[in-house]
Amino acid sequence: MLKDLGTPTTRSAFRSAGETPLRSAGTPRDVRRRRTVLVLVILACFTLIVLDARRSAGSPVEPLREAAAGVFGPLESTATSARQPVDNLRDRFAEMDRLKAENEKLKKDNEDLTRELTTSDYARNRAQELDKLLKVAPAFTMTPARVIGIGSAQTFSHTVTIDAGTADGVHTDMTVLNGTGLVGRVVRTTQGTATVLLIGDRNSTVGGRLNASMALGFVSGRGEVGGTLDYKLIDPKARPKVGDRIVTWGSSGNAPYVPGVPIGVVTSVTANEGSLGSTATVKPYVDPTRIDTVGVVTGPPARPPRPQITGKGN
Amino acid sequence: MIALRIGLAALFLMIAVTVQTSVLTNIAVAGVTCDLTLIVVIALALSRGPEWGAIAGFAGGLLLDVVPPADHTAGRWALSLAIAGYIAGLIRRETSGSPVGPLGVALTVVLGTAVSFFIYSATGSLLHDPSVDWGEFGVRLGIAAGYDVVGAIVVIPLVMWIMGRVQPARERRRVAP
Repeated sequence: MLKDLGTPTTRSAFRSAGETPLRSAGTPRDVRRRRTVLVLVILACFTLIVLDARRSAGSPVEPLREAAAGVFGPLESTATSARQPVDNLRDRFAEMDRLKAENEKLKKDNEDLTRELTTSDYARNRAQELDKLLKVAPAFTMTPARVIGIGSAQTFSHTVTIDAGTADGVHTDMTVLNGTGLVGRVVRTTQGTATVLLIGDRNSTVGGRLNASMALGFVSGRGEVGGTLDYKLIDPKARPKVGDRIVTWGSSGNAPYVPGVPIGVVTSVTANEGSLGSTATVKPYVDPTRIDTVGVVTGPPARPPRPQITGKGN
Repeated sequence: MIALRIGLAALFLMIAVTVQTSVLTNIAVAGVTCDLTLIVVIALALSRGPEWGAIAGFAGGLLLDVVPPADHTAGRWALSLAIAGYIAGLIRRETSGSPVGPLGVALTVVLGTAVSFFIYSATGSLLHDPSVDWGEFGVRLGIAAGYDVVGAIVVIPLVMWIMGRVQPARERRRVAP
């Protein structure tokens, strides 16, 4: 059945002209037209790739993306609201039940950890080292949003669509988080939707601070489905420990990441081969496959993070 | 008639892209979703031939490239699905217009999944996209192929039946002697 796929045009065309015509090949004119269509389509694809490959701001594909988001944003939104039956179906799978139980446990653990986090290490260190004035998680202005589209593993990229866009004050390079920790940052916006690059993507790097020692480092995604992260410290002599928690240390101007958002917990540490330092494996607090409602940090606190001491710290 | 067919094909592709990005991702297996768009493209190719396969593949892939949350270089899925659709159309020609058997459809879907996923990954590598991970390729392809066959069992007969209803009379005569 497949034997003709790899062979060039001439053979099938010749065959069909010969005395034992293959019913399949069609007339030479058909074959020629078919080839022309294929070549044209492939050329169109290459043109697109070349036009869009530089990822510059003026990519001619951008208007197309805008238009597509304008049409498909509402569609995805509707489809997401109508997914209750799918959710029920999913819950029937035993595997999912296991995950659910695990998720419950993790959620509870996370809550405990978050509470611990806000009350102990981070607050104590900050309080001691920075004249007891910093609040742990400054009250940023948040815009709630719902995840309406998720990138599949076949695309390799870890991105989700949320149903808030420029109309809601969401712009690129804003921090996205949920109740348990950091989700990612906004990389692309349209009127009514925004695309969020999750921290588990290989293109994502976040500045992370070890809670216990206040050491600085970088958290980068591995591109794995579970969203596992790598953590490298700037100071090669510093060593993360298993169980250490990592929070963002924030970027200048609070973009793309605001400070003090929990990222994850260190699960294992391996020494770097051939160089100083060590790499830690970090399990993120946020399960990338289970993101639903998120918050986009759309505004900074009234003043950069040192307003009052009335936080949850004590 | 031709306008109706094109409209139907466009409708199928739009539904497929929407469902694939926002509903099917919630029942993903290890992150891998069912490539509903690919399945629809294969169904169109199986019912209409390679030209339709290539053009439907291009349109459907282009949608996958630009509809959020896509964040990769546009044109990669378009290329992958266009070639997969063309090949599926050739398989239909090979069996001379008569309905392709269930096994043939399943094999076509597996082949289409493999071809499209490989082209997508390969173009990513060529463009130095750091997110492409060849170590994961095999596992994800295996899951995707299995999942796509399951999806195809439902979708392909449906799409082919509807496309068959709007077939021109002369073609219907040729197919069903």
